[in-house]
Amino acid sequence: MRALAVTVAIAALALPASAAPPPTKKPGVLTVALEMPSAGFQVGIVRGRTVILARGLEIDLAAQVAKRLGLRVRYLNEPAFSKLLKPGLGDWDLAVAQISVTPDRSTKVDFSTPYLEADQGVLVRVGVKPVPRSLAALRKLVVCAKRGTTGAGIVTSRIKPTRKPLFVANLSVLLYDLFAKRCDAVVLDAPTLAALRREAPDRYGPLVGRIPTRERYAMAFEQGSPLRTPVNAALKAIARDGTLARLRQRWLGADTAKLPVLR
Amino acid sequence: MPARLCVAAALCAAVVLPPAAAAPRAATVKVALLQGEQVVYVDRPGSTVAAAVRGLLAGPTATEKTQGIKSQLPAGTPLRGVSVRGGVATIDVGIKFASGSRAESLTARVAQLVLTATRVPNVRSVRLLVKGGTPLGLFPGILASFPLTAKNVTAPPRMPPPAPAPQQPKPPSAATRALQQRLADLGYMRADEVDGRPGPRTTSAVVAFQKWSGLARDGVAGPATRAALSSATRPAPTRPGTGRRVEVLLDRQLALVIDGARVTRTLDVSSGKPGYDTPAGSWKVFRKEVRSWSVPYKVWLPWASYFVGGVAFHEYPEVPPTAASHGCVRVPRWDAQWLYTQTPTGTPVTVIGRSR
Repeated sequence: MRALAVTVAIAALALPASAAPPPTKKPGVLTVALEMPSAGFQVGIVRGRTVILARGLEIDLAAQVAKRLGLRVRYLNEPAFSKLLKPGLGDWDLAVAQISVTPDRSTKVDFSTPYLEADQGVLVRVGVKPVPRSLAALRKLVVCAKRGTTGAGIVTSRIKPTRKPLFVANLSVLLYDLFAKRCDAVVLDAPTLAALRREAPDRYGPLVGRIPTRERYAMAFEQGSPLRTPVNAALKAIARDGTLARLRQRWLGADTAKLPVLR
Repeated sequence: MPARLCVAAALCAAVVLPPAAAAPRAATVKVALLQGEQVVYVDRPGSTVAAAVRGLLAGPTATEKTQGIKSQLPAGTPLRGVSVRGGVATIDVGIKFASGSRAESLTARVAQLVLTATRVPNVRSVRLLVKGGTPLGLFPGILASFPLTAKNVTAPPRMPPPAPAPQQPKPPSAATRALQQRLADLGYMRADEVDGRPGPRTTSAVVAFQKWSGLARDGVAGPATRAALSSATRPAPTRPGTGRRVEVLLDRQLALVIDGARVTRTLDVSSGKPGYDTPAGSWKVFRKEVRSWSVPYKVWLPWASYFVGGVAFHEYPEVPPTAASHGCVRVPRWDAQWLYTQTPTGTPVTVIGRSR
C-alpha cells in the first residue's frame, strides 16, 4: 500500500498535470481545512465555513502541495482549533493551522513532515508596566491563550498564574480581549505574534520574549490517509527547491529565534 | 476650500462624531477621503448610509484630486448591500475591497468606510462584510469580525512616538567645522549647530545645498559640491511676497523659510510621492499639534503644522532625498521643532511645483 502511494507520488511530481492524482474526498480537489485568522500564516474572508479569500504562508504552502499533486485546492474554515484534530469526522483531506506535532496528537491524527519549527512567544498589551521579563513576572498578570494550544498548556503547567487565565476559541477573540485590556499578555506561536506586531506596531506592547518549545508544525490527516505519502513527497520538494524558504521570507520575515528566552 | 473640509484628527473626530452633532435635515452626507496624513470630509448628495458609502466608493472628484485628496479604496469596488439595525450598519462590499496586501492601505480603507458610515445620524458602528463574508485577520490591527466604531479606527495608541536611536558623536575636525560654517552662512544649518562633528545633521544640510544647486543628492561634500559651495550665495525666494512665509519647492524637495526678502533657512524635506502629490497652491497654516496622530496611516507626526486639509509639515525619522510621503512635508528631527516655532497659525505656505 505504502509502496503504491510512493509510486503515485513520484508520478505526480514528474507529470503533475496528466498523472492520476491521489484520491481525495472530492475527486480532483485537495480540500484543506484552516482555522483563521493567524497573522502571517492564514488570514482571509469566510462565510460560514466557506473561504472567500485567504492569504498567508500556509495558504501558499497548501496551494503548492496541491499543484504538485495535480490537484486543485479548496479551503474550508473550521471555527475552532480543536475541530482540526478530529479529521476522521471532517469533509476535508488535510488540516493546516500551525498544528504542532505532539505524541498525544499523534494518537488522533497522522502528521506530514514538518514545514516549520518555532517557539512560543509572549506579547503584552499596550500599557503593561512594568514590562514582564520572566515567567515569574507573568504569573501576576492576566495571561491568555487559545484553547487547546501549546500556549494554553504552557500557561497552565509552566507559568501557573496567580490570576485566572483566559482561554478563548480563536485569535480574533484573543485580540479583542487584549485590546479591551481584559488580558495583559498572550502566549501564542512566536511567529504569529511577531507578524501581528509588525503589521500594526501601535496596537501592541512589546513582544517580550520566547518560551523555547521547538515545536514542529505539520499538516494533519485522518489516520491511515493515503494522502500522507504523496503530500510528504511534495513538501520535501517544496523545501528542497527553495520554495519554502521564499514563502517564509515573504510572510514571516523576522527570525523569532533571536528573541530573549523567558525563564 | 479648507472651510468645507473638517480634518479629523482623533480629537476632532471625537468631538464631531456623535450622531447628535449631525445636522438633522442634512441633504448631504459626509464622505471620509484622505489628504496627506489625515482624513478629510467632503460633502456628497444624499442622507443615507448607502448614499454615503456610494459616495465614498466613487472616490474624489477631479477638482478634489488636484488638491491632493485621494482614497485608499480600490477603484470600482462594488457596494453589495447596506442595512442598518440598532445603530449597526452592515455594509457588504465586493471582494475588491480586500485587494492588495499593503497594511497601511488596508487599514486606511477600513477607517474611511467606518468614519463615513458613522457620520450618518444614528449609525454608531459598522459590521463589515466582504462579498457577504466576515474578514478574519485581513486588516492589520483592526478586528473587523466585530462591529467597528469610529473610535476603533481613530484612537491613537497610548504610547509615545519611538525615541530616535542614540547616535555616537563623531570626533570633531577643522574641515567639518569649516564646511558647517559655510552651510550655516548660507542658511542650510543654524549657527548653533556648527560643532565640527560630522553626522546626519551635516549630511542633511549638504543634501539641501545639493538640491538647491541641482547637484547629485548624495550628501557628500565632494569636489563638485565644494566648488559650488565656494561661490554659492544664500538662496532667494522664488516668488514675491512679504513677511514671514514658507515656500515648498516640490522639484527641489526643499522648504524655504522666508522673512521679508531674506531666506532665513533652507530645509531638506521630502514631500508626497507620486500618487500622493503635495497639492501646489497658496495655503496658510491653520492647525498646529505638537504630537499629531495620523488616523488613516497609524503613525505619530511630531511637530505638525497643517496647512491644507491633512497636509502638514511634520517631523519624520526618514527624510530621503526624493519625494516619499503620503502628501505631507517631512522635516528632519533637528529642524522640526524649530520650523514649528517659526510657523504660527496663519503663516502663508506656498507649494510650488517648478521653482527653476
